[in-house]
Amino acid sequence: MKIALHVPCYINELNPEIARKTLLILRHFGLNVSVPKNQTCCGQPFINSGQPTTLPEQFNEIFKDYEYIVSPSSSCTSTIRSQELEVSKKMYELCEFLHDILQVRDIAKNYPKKIALHNSCHSIRHLLEGAPSELNIPYFNKVKKVLGGEIVEAKRDECCGFGGVFSVKEGFISYVMGRSKLDDLISTGGEVITGVDFSCLMHLKGIAEKDGDDIEIKHISEIIYESIFGEEK
Amino acid sequence: MKHYELAVKFYKEKGPRHDKSLWTIRQKRDKAIKEVPEWESLRVQASEIKDYVIENLQDLVDEFIKNAKNAGIEVVFAKDAQEHNQTVLKYLKEINAKKVVKSKSMLTEECGLNEFLEKNGIEVIDTDLGERIVQLRGEKPSHIVLPAIHTTKEDVAEILGEENTDPTYLTHKMRELLRKEFLSADAGLSGANFLVADKGWAVVCTNEGNADLGAVLPPLHIISVGVEKLVPNMNDLGVFLRMLARNATGQKITTYTSIFGKKENGKRVIVLVDNGRFERLNSEFKETLKCIRCSACLTTCPVFRRSGGHAYRYVIPGPIGSLLAPLSDKEKYKDLPFACTLCSSCEMVCPVKIPFSKQLVKMREYVTKENIALKLAEKSMHHPQAFKLFSTILRLTPKPVLKTALKEWSRYKALPKIPKKRFISL
Ligand code: SF4
Repeated sequence: MKIALHVPCYINELNPEIARKTLLILRHFGLNVSVPKNQTCCGQPFINSGQPTTLPEQFNEIFKDYEYIVSPSSSCTSTIRSQELEVSKKMYELCEFLHDILQVRDIAKNYPKKIALHNSCHSIRHLLEGAPSELNIPYFNKVKKVLGGEIVEAKRDECCGFGGVFSVKEGFISYVMGRSKLDDLISTGGEVITGVDFSCLMHLKGIAEKDGDDIEIKHISEIIYESIFGEEK
Repeated sequence: MKHYELAVKFYKEKGPRHDKSLWTIRQKRDKAIKEVPEWESLRVQASEIKDYVIENLQDLVDEFIKNAKNAGIEVVFAKDAQEHNQTVLKYLKEINAKKVVKSKSMLTEECGLNEFLEKNGIEVIDTDLGERIVQLRGEKPSHIVLPAIHTTKEDVAEILGEENTDPTYLTHKMRELLRKEFLSADAGLSGANFLVADKGWAVVCTNEGNADLGAVLPPLHIISVGVEKLVPNMNDLGVFLRMLARNATGQKITTYTSIFGKKENGKRVIVLVDNGRFERLNSEFKETLKCIRCSACLTTCPVFRRSGGHAYRYVIPGPIGSLLAPLSDKEKYKDLPFACTLCSSCEMVCPVKIPFSKQLVKMREYVTKENIALKLAEKSMHHPQAFKLFSTILRLTPKPVLKTALKEWSRYKALPKIPKKRFISL
């Protein structure tokens, strides 16, 4: 299997550890994973700002020869999937890949802390990694399946209010949405909040930090990494 | 004022309550649609019927006009808002009408009919409970199915000059007042939810029965309706009637679903309005014509729930309004497609499957001029080295400068810490 790791540009700049851990997770499963050095951005920030961009085409050129492209971000994955490109069907969000292709289950079953899962909109509504409450389909959640054990979810599966350009244009509304998401997640009794999108988590972290909430927030790759290799000191 | 300022103001006054009441309705809706096992296939069917309608709109219009005439209804085609208003006025003048009772029609709002008729000396009484409340408050509806959802029972008591704030009491009070208006009106105006092409009939759905009173009591009934409300036949109508109320508020069906053909005690006129709809058929936003105005996308929208409908400043607020408003005035409403996190909850609830995320992103492109800074950033991302340089410059930017640039973020949230090393480093 020829697999490429997609390193979302904002993860590369703001939390490169997520990329490193994703790579080590994939290698742990015996996969031969390459990291194309010339990758930059999938184009999402421009598309969402209403600016013309040819970055998705560039993305296609860089990744088209791989069988799978795995990304620790559902929003980049859904950006590429919504384009008509050769790579569109080959790109997977990390948990989706673990669930659908590698059939991984219960990997974080013995995780020492109670996990609260933030189902990001791109994960459940764009990629259908779980059943959104709006649809009349049976309940399922791939991310929970991959993690295993007792995972708690927010009562409302609504948006956390990040929305990229939205968080910069409508700061206050973005904040109140994030605030209610945090309250919802904290009220589940979870000790660590996780999710597949670092962007939502970064937004929630920013609020928690400013408001002085005592809650741990970690990207899903960190939880999976720790479950496999133990916590790094 | 833009969406953002209005939203902040609204949220501080009424946001949490508004969010809670609409979320309750969303939950009712979720429960109700789960009682219909074939719900998701109904959505597919509804979407396909609407695709057919917009692909064959002119034929259906012709078919409808022919059949409505045979059914004994006068039909007038109006190309725009002005022509619509003039037509309505002409019919009202014919009978020398002084007072009309109106039941909810977003189209008459779109055309500014109330103001136009008032200017011409005709009194317009909105008769839907919620519409009447906002009319008395001198406001516009803030939601297409729950027009007064932004008000409280205290607000209602205040405009009625009552001390008792009990909702049932206030409803009865309002009903008493409206009854008098119905009995003394010269004509009834209403919208229509659907037009059945092969029968020439109009279908009106209300929960208060007020449209029926307006349609039946006075000697003249005028229906103002957009061409996109056509459905081919009664079977197709059935699909939409099953979905409309359930998806809006969780009711099984709207309390009063009336089908109007020939008027027994007088005249019925249908004003069939284009007002840019045919033109939209040839645009990349033609899918917005599939909307049946169930309002589910408004109710579910997490931004709408916090900002209230008035922040959108257009007849139709919320996600669908953010697509329709810029089509009516690009400059004025260019902020609306950005009042959205692209969460796609609207897309999930939409019974006719309007692809909101794609349409909203397209709409952003439509209203946005090319931004030089973003263009440069985009260009740099075509060359890894240039991108690195670009981001290194950002990293070297002093924190206060970054904070100012990201002031909307940093006012409410801590900025993330920037690590020393990247993962891919060239
Ligand atoms: S866009 Fe869809 S969900 Fe929104 S009002 Fe129209 S039909 Fe209903």
